[in-house]
Amino acid sequence: MLALSVDGLQVRYPGLPVPALDLPSLSLAAGETAALVGPSGSGKTTFINIVTGMERAGSGCVAWNDENIAGLPEGGRDRWRARNVGLVMQDFHLFPGLSAEANVLLPQRLSHLRLPAGMQSRARELLARVGIERPEQLVGTTSRGQMQRVAVARALVGRPGLIVADEPTASLDAESGAAVADLLVELAQEAGSTLIVASHDGRLIERMGRTLRLENGRLAA
Amino acid sequence: MFHFILADLRRNWIGALILALLIALATALGVSVTLQERALRLGSARAAAAFDLVVGAAGSETQLILSSIFLQPAPLPLLPPETLAALRADPRVENAVPVGFGDFVAGYPIVGTTSDAVEMLGGLGEGEGFSHMGDAIVGAQVSRAIGDSFHPFHGAVGEAGEVHSHVEYRVVGRMAPTGTPWDRAILVPIQSVWATHANHDHDHGHEPEQTAGLAAVASVPHDHGHDHGPGFAGEAVDESELLHTDNPGVPAILVKPKSIADAYNLRQQYRTETTLAVFPGEVLTRLYGTLGDARRILGFVATGAQLLVGAAILMVVAVHVLQRRRQIGALRAFGAPRPVVMGMVWTEVFILVAAGVICGFAIGYAIVRAISGYLARNSGVAMPVEFQPADLWTLLFLLAACAAATLLPALIAYRQTPAQALRS
Repeated sequence: MLALSVDGLQVRYPGLPVPALDLPSLSLAAGETAALVGPSGSGKTTFINIVTGMERAGSGCVAWNDENIAGLPEGGRDRWRARNVGLVMQDFHLFPGLSAEANVLLPQRLSHLRLPAGMQSRARELLARVGIERPEQLVGTTSRGQMQRVAVARALVGRPGLIVADEPTASLDAESGAAVADLLVELAQEAGSTLIVASHDGRLIERMGRTLRLENGRLAA
Repeated sequence: MFHFILADLRRNWIGALILALLIALATALGVSVTLQERALRLGSARAAAAFDLVVGAAGSETQLILSSIFLQPAPLPLLPPETLAALRADPRVENAVPVGFGDFVAGYPIVGTTSDAVEMLGGLGEGEGFSHMGDAIVGAQVSRAIGDSFHPFHGAVGEAGEVHSHVEYRVVGRMAPTGTPWDRAILVPIQSVWATHANHDHDHGHEPEQTAGLAAVASVPHDHGHDHGPGFAGEAVDESELLHTDNPGVPAILVKPKSIADAYNLRQQYRTETTLAVFPGEVLTRLYGTLGDARRILGFVATGAQLLVGAAILMVVAVHVLQRRRQIGALRAFGAPRPVVMGMVWTEVFILVAAGVICGFAIGYAIVRAISGYLARNSGVAMPVEFQPADLWTLLFLLAACAAATLLPALIAYRQTPAQALRS
């Protein structure tokens, strides 16, 4: 369960006069669900990269439960993200040579010397929960909807305090998209995780508790 | 982690296989140059080691060694019979055996010598030694069974010769394998060779031939009272003939001195205007000196090819890793620590390269085994194809170099943030 507090955040890229992201102040309560909307180029991806520690914040403070990840070095942010964040991305980033179950467990395997106890049964439960009947099936042979459901299971297997989804339904047909949206919201609520979803999908947006609208890197009222 | 690497290799197995194969072939090239040169050098050195000192008439030292040890046919001038008689009587000499050639049968050179030669070369494997003029002892690789008979052909191996139809030899023994060209030789009493050629040339009324070897035998007066007609095969071998000075002489004498000091003394004494005495080793060393340059050039070519292949492969791997930036970025986004990702990229590339290098050693070994086997069958010189401790260091050095070189793609994977990698 993570609460976000952003203070005086500015992200600038070389050669650009205006900051890509300029957030004087923003808070999210633990367990809150928020939709991140805005035209492309408005800073949604930068926002996600910063709050998940995938990119270094230029200046300011990005604190999750009072831990300022903007002050952490790269390795520290990686470790923090591995412990606290579950990611779902538009194009899945599953590894085609591995089974659904191996994909769900891969981040855990890579960040721990030994797979934590109970992780495998949790992976199976989650896969069953998202409707994957054959965990041993190679993920490259499944449909796109199934792939995104595997990705949702992967995001949740480590019991993260924060789930971040970047356009999770954008590359799916309407039916699969709806199923993935349902799963994301339900599972985040069951786990009590904070959920941030960047999306253009109206049905997904309206299920979020709050909408953050970005325009030119700033929060619109 | 290994699970993931294996899955990735399996997915790109064609590319991986081609890459490993390229590395293997480049490595095999270098390995086979080294191994083949070593096999030739050791093989010829071991073949020569059975012979301590070779005495011949003045002429080319190299040709003397090639003819007497490697049994390469060539016209050699003859030593006067006194030389053989003196050497056989010399107290410093344990053994002095004549070598006379000039005939062959079915591609095998026929060497006229004495039964001492068999002892000198390691003894009989089966059967018995000479006792009659028509007896023959075959080398270990000669495909003639004991009891077989044959007519010798006049001339040298590979040339069309005329058959000595009036002479017939019967195989009575087989030598133990020696690993020298003598494994392909057929040994007959030198007295028979003298007789055959005297007889042959008398029969045909040839002019004295100047192409020495034993073809020149006919030019030597020949009146020691034996009947050299077609029926000589049953006669006993007369060893005393070797001590007479009325035989035609021989082109070369293999000498086994009693001690090293004797060897040097004899070599000194027989280096005269008319005779030549050499240690086979010294001639071979000189030959290797010449061949060494060729080997060095081959070695440079092989190394150059390896470097080029290595650079090309490194490029391919680097491009491959760059193409996989998104995958690598995703791994990190999902929480894989940076050193783990770097380790995975490094391990995957290193597995390919190391597998290629190790296969290359195996392929190089197999190629040289095949070539050496072929050479050994044709020359009789056993070619030892062997790795030496130094090769292990070469292998370790190569692997270490590969380990260092494959850090490059791993570092590419290390340097970028997950956000950069995913954006690309």
